Amino acid sequence: MKIKILRQKTPETNPYWECFEYNGTKEISVAGMLDQLNFGDDILNDQGLKTDRIGWDCSCLQGVCGACAMVINEVPALACETFLKNLKGETVTLRPLRKFPVIHDLIVDRSIIHENLKITDIYIGEYNPKADEDHDLQYTAAKCLKCGLCLEVCPNYTVGKSFFGAVYANDCYLVHERNTNKAKDIHVSYAKHFGNACSKALSCMEVCPVHISSLASMSKLNRV
Amino acid sequence: MREILIIGNGISGMMCAIRCAEHGLHVRLVAPGPSEQSQSVMAAGGINAVTEDHEDGDAIDCHVEDTLKGGAYIAGRNSVYGLCSHAEEIIQYLEKIGTVFTINEKGRPAFRAFGGQSHKRTYYCGSSTGKQIVSALTMECRRFEGQGLITRVQRQHFYSALIEDGICYGAILYDEKSRTLIPVYADALVMATGGQNCLYGKTTGSGRCDGYAVGKLFMQGAVLKNLEFIQYHPTTLETPQKRMLVSEAVRGEGGRLFYFDGEKKVYFMEDKFGPRGNLMTRDVISREIISTGKDVFLDISFMDKKLIDSKIPEVRDLCEKYRGIDISKMPIPVAPSVHFFMGGLAVHKDHESSFKNLYGIGECASMYHGANRLGGNSLLAACYSGMVAADSIYGKNLSEKHPDFTGFISTEQKNLKKRLNSYSSFAAMHIRDMLADTMREHMSIVRSEESLKQGIEDVSYLLSVVDRINYDPSVSAYANYSLKGILTLGKAALTCAQARKESRGAHYRTDYPQSQKEYETATLISYENGNYKVSLDMEHVYEN
Repeated sequence: MKIKILRQKTPETNPYWECFEYNGTKEISVAGMLDQLNFGDDILNDQGLKTDRIGWDCSCLQGVCGACAMVINEVPALACETFLKNLKGETVTLRPLRKFPVIHDLIVDRSIIHENLKITDIYIGEYNPKADEDHDLQYTAAKCLKCGLCLEVCPNYTVGKSFFGAVYANDCYLVHERNTNKAKDIHVSYAKHFGNACSKALSCMEVCPVHISSLASMSKLNRV
Repeated sequence: MREILIIGNGISGMMCAIRCAEHGLHVRLVAPGPSEQSQSVMAAGGINAVTEDHEDGDAIDCHVEDTLKGGAYIAGRNSVYGLCSHAEEIIQYLEKIGTVFTINEKGRPAFRAFGGQSHKRTYYCGSSTGKQIVSALTMECRRFEGQGLITRVQRQHFYSALIEDGICYGAILYDEKSRTLIPVYADALVMATGGQNCLYGKTTGSGRCDGYAVGKLFMQGAVLKNLEFIQYHPTTLETPQKRMLVSEAVRGEGGRLFYFDGEKKVYFMEDKFGPRGNLMTRDVISREIISTGKDVFLDISFMDKKLIDSKIPEVRDLCEKYRGIDISKMPIPVAPSVHFFMGGLAVHKDHESSFKNLYGIGECASMYHGANRLGGNSLLAACYSGMVAADSIYGKNLSEKHPDFTGFISTEQKNLKKRLNSYSSFAAMHIRDMLADTMREHMSIVRSEESLKQGIEDVSYLLSVVDRINYDPSVSAYANYSLKGILTLGKAALTCAQARKESRGAHYRTDYPQSQKEYETATLISYENGNYKVSLDMEHVYEN
């Protein structure tokens, strides 16, 4: 199996493609495969040349932390949850998420997600819920990994613009539902940074690793 | 303004940061990644508390007694009382900041039964309690970030503490971006770096919790405690990327452990302990699995598929996703794996370590759990320890002027530079792998003098060569420079296990299978010029 990776040494240098041969089991995730490529005695590319170990991020390796988000065969996904046996063809193409600045190889800087939430003061503060809470939806929304897959796939999200994407809308929803005193203010932020510009492509819901129904969050917020 | 440096942004780190900020202290919260990537998000079970809604007959004293008993009576009663008596306040606080608890029919946070406890008192958020708490605390941190009281810093790693004459003045951090060391002076340094997973290779926890910080502080003179007590989880599923935890809920729902003797299934837990044998404590089951010497399976396939779907959907999904096992048709192959570390930095009741102004909180500190931890007490301890440390820091007069560390810092810079500029194709991970093999073999569930001695010899050898090897510089600098601290911690753990010539809680020795009264206290270990000094904390210097 051929593994084709878009690599980049540092944020300042140019990206380049490098290919590797992988001959192990297909009953393994992309994360497991990267580990195997990296930690043989040597790491050789498909030309048989010694190269640098592949940079990628991970922490939990079971789909609950979002660290290993990347683009796998053009689909944004978590490497720890994507299995080789489920990928079509004999080449696996890996590249870093395109909507974030690359730090090194498959590692990107997603701090903009937190920055956007910080500068607009998205926090609950004091639990003061609405009478008709949708507990299940809140529970799922609070499982958001902040992995950035929803931004990667979103046709409306561009770095540096005022549209902050589904990851932002879901935190707005949580605050809106869990503190009625903030509902009005949150609605203003939500409209400005999400509601007014979302074209409802809903691709965010297809790639979300924890299956957050952003559409349901939106419909609650749009109801005010 | 007073500056507090916190390393680690999981639940304990964030709890401490928020509490410091509430006191008006300025916090620098440093970690490799965002809080969403901390190990805390993996805690599924729940958080124990006796509240006004408590079950009939339950009381704070019952929670204290359960915790002390679970820890085989070597935790400090006063500190455990502090933990349990503040649990209600913690639940209320978490609810107030918006944690999405599972609720009962009255709309109040619900609680359930957990192993080893005399009453139902474990509050929970579905099957993702840790994650839900992290989400709420992250929002609350954000409030103080907006006010300029908490500054989050990412992609920086602990390198060493700045210590002179028993006082800590901050830390040196490694910055991934500039590939240099950055000194950060602080009025207090709080370590919230989690457990020591990577000493054992792939465990149920996060690969970012590697014990380096604790190992390095030990080398700098900090006292460590109870390193021999490691909780193994009996039922984990091997996958190529890690060991996945198969929840106790499977056994709670009637799951049966067995091995094959030819064609015949041997239900060894039921044979030995009766019909409730599969519900024995984690350490007993782990030891029994090891003693079979066979491949062990956990079977729930006899359960109605609909019940599996409603009662244990996470286990169903996990086995299907990572191993293609349909648990309604096949038994789950399971084996014990390292899960939690009761040992770590020795800290006093206020979570200050043996150095002044150096604090340890969460799993990296040794406190409350004694020789074994109750389920539901780790999230509680993470929250409580963060709070206690912050209150202690706030109550102190911290205006000590720091000495001149320029010489020390420049020497360390030079050492790192030399390491970064050396070249070889040998990856630092290979040394970590060798250590993990040794630790898994010799610090396993069942230990003996001979085996521990061999383990110490093996790690001593790795320590003797670690500084003489050139490493592949394309592996992260952190993975390279962290080796010595991690190896040193591994040797310290083996040394503690060798010194405790009895069996207690999670520490089991075939050559000393009984508990001994004279060992009914914590183990302390300190380091001086390469020598490891072990003692028993007879005076209860720590915890009480």
